[in-house]
Amino acid sequence: MKVTWELADGTEIAADVAQGTTLKDAALAADVPGIPGDCGGNLSCATCHVVVADDWFAAVGGPEATEDFMLDITEAPREAHSRLSCQIEMSAKLDGVRLKVPAV
Amino acid sequence: MTVWTPTDDGHADLSNHDTFTEGPPHNTFRRMRREAPLEWTDWDGGLGFWNVTRQEDILKLNRDTALMSSARGIRMEDQSYEEYLSRRTFQETDPPEHMATRIKVAKAFSAPVVAGFEAQIRRLCDEILDATLQMGTFDATKEIARQLPMRMLGQILGTPEEDLPWLVEKGDALIANTDPDFTEHVLDKMDTDAYRLMPFNSPAGAELFDYAKALMAEKNRTGDTNGVLHMILQPDKNGEVLPELEFRNFFCLLVAAGNDTTRYSIAAGIQAMAHQPELLGKMQAGGEVWQTAADEIIRWATPALYFRRTATRDIEIHGQNVREGDKVLFWWASGNRDETVFDDPFRVKLDRAPNRHVSFGQGGPHVCLGMHLARLEVRILFEELAKRIKRVEAAGPHRFLRSNFVGGIKELPVTITPA
Repeated sequence: MKVTWELADGTEIAADVAQGTTLKDAALAADVPGIPGDCGGNLSCATCHVVVADDWFAAVGGPEATEDFMLDITEAPREAHSRLSCQIEMSAKLDGVRLKVPAV
Repeated sequence: MTVWTPTDDGHADLSNHDTFTEGPPHNTFRRMRREAPLEWTDWDGGLGFWNVTRQEDILKLNRDTALMSSARGIRMEDQSYEEYLSRRTFQETDPPEHMATRIKVAKAFSAPVVAGFEAQIRRLCDEILDATLQMGTFDATKEIARQLPMRMLGQILGTPEEDLPWLVEKGDALIANTDPDFTEHVLDKMDTDAYRLMPFNSPAGAELFDYAKALMAEKNRTGDTNGVLHMILQPDKNGEVLPELEFRNFFCLLVAAGNDTTRYSIAAGIQAMAHQPELLGKMQAGGEVWQTAADEIIRWATPALYFRRTATRDIEIHGQNVREGDKVLFWWASGNRDETVFDDPFRVKLDRAPNRHVSFGQGGPHVCLGMHLARLEVRILFEELAKRIKRVEAAGPHRFLRSNFVGGIKELPVTITPA
């Protein structure tokens, strides 16, 4: 299953991602710059911030309460479709998902 | 020339603070990464412990908080439940309890809030460097590295300038509680248990407690809402306020952990400049190097050498039987020199990217709360230093702290030639 990250300068990085892998771990494995993912996926650092492409947001869904709080303290300002990618697991319905890595 | 060459024989005693007075025993860590990735250390001061030295293992275990608990202490010393309850901060909790507290203090140290400190930090660097660089030869830890985080702490806390040296002295007595230069109550040589309920088992903890309480009373009286303490004491979305004991322990944490770590990062960076002269030129060329330089300096420094966890069940790791209740040390210092992760790990490369260091305890929920502030202080200090000078040279041997927990150059004689 495929995930594409679009960097602030327009560069795209695509990777095959297995079912159940979080999109933060996928970004680390693909060396996507701007996603250090410092807390191992524990909602403690807000450093795996991505903006989900408009037409994919319904499939991905919105954040729960703790993530919602942490999205208020991301380095780049929060946008309508911001998510912490450690909280998104790869699944068939997300095959092809596109994520923007916000400029900081 | 290498920056610094470890001299240990590959079998150093990791429980002995004296081992670390010549710097971390990196020959021992290297042997362990190669041959014994989970090795046991006996300790005559308490129960022994396991050592995790490969970065891959550190990252894997650090995120597994159900297996590796922080709630039974985070240093190698054993703690009774009573000691634990009275001394703990949210460092010594596991999810979900950890997050309930962390979320109350997270905003104050978040990237966007910290970014607002840039001008303030630059002004402090101006003052410090203008006063210091005319001295020529001096102790860079004392005159530069110690100054910036101390004064920034004052601004963050909103404390009077004249209180700062006292505060930092107490913070040092807490965190460097195994080095006789910093405390009269050397932890492993103390013959009293009178301080065991205080933070870091130190009488300085009680003094800081009293100071924090008086400071907040004064602020409340005058309606002063400046500084991070005010932000931290605000009720959260659910109307909950940080309990007093937690606040006071958190205050000690700020004064101790949030202060010396940045100091020793700056000191390690200056020490590297003295031994790798090309670093100054790279800094002066500027540009993109500043996006990566601070992290490389912080990797090089690794001020927190390890944090401890406790196994919550029996498990086999690398063929060893780890028992429930066994102490397990994650050696960030070793993870940051892991040759399978870093090309030429014993060289400082300011443009290293990606730089997957673990100085901030990355990979787990306890990742350093102050990491954004630390990076910003380190970057700006070196930006301002590089602008003003043409050479850094060692002016004598540097001395490391006596501690297996805090890695730092406590004395760094240098000659710095102004531009």
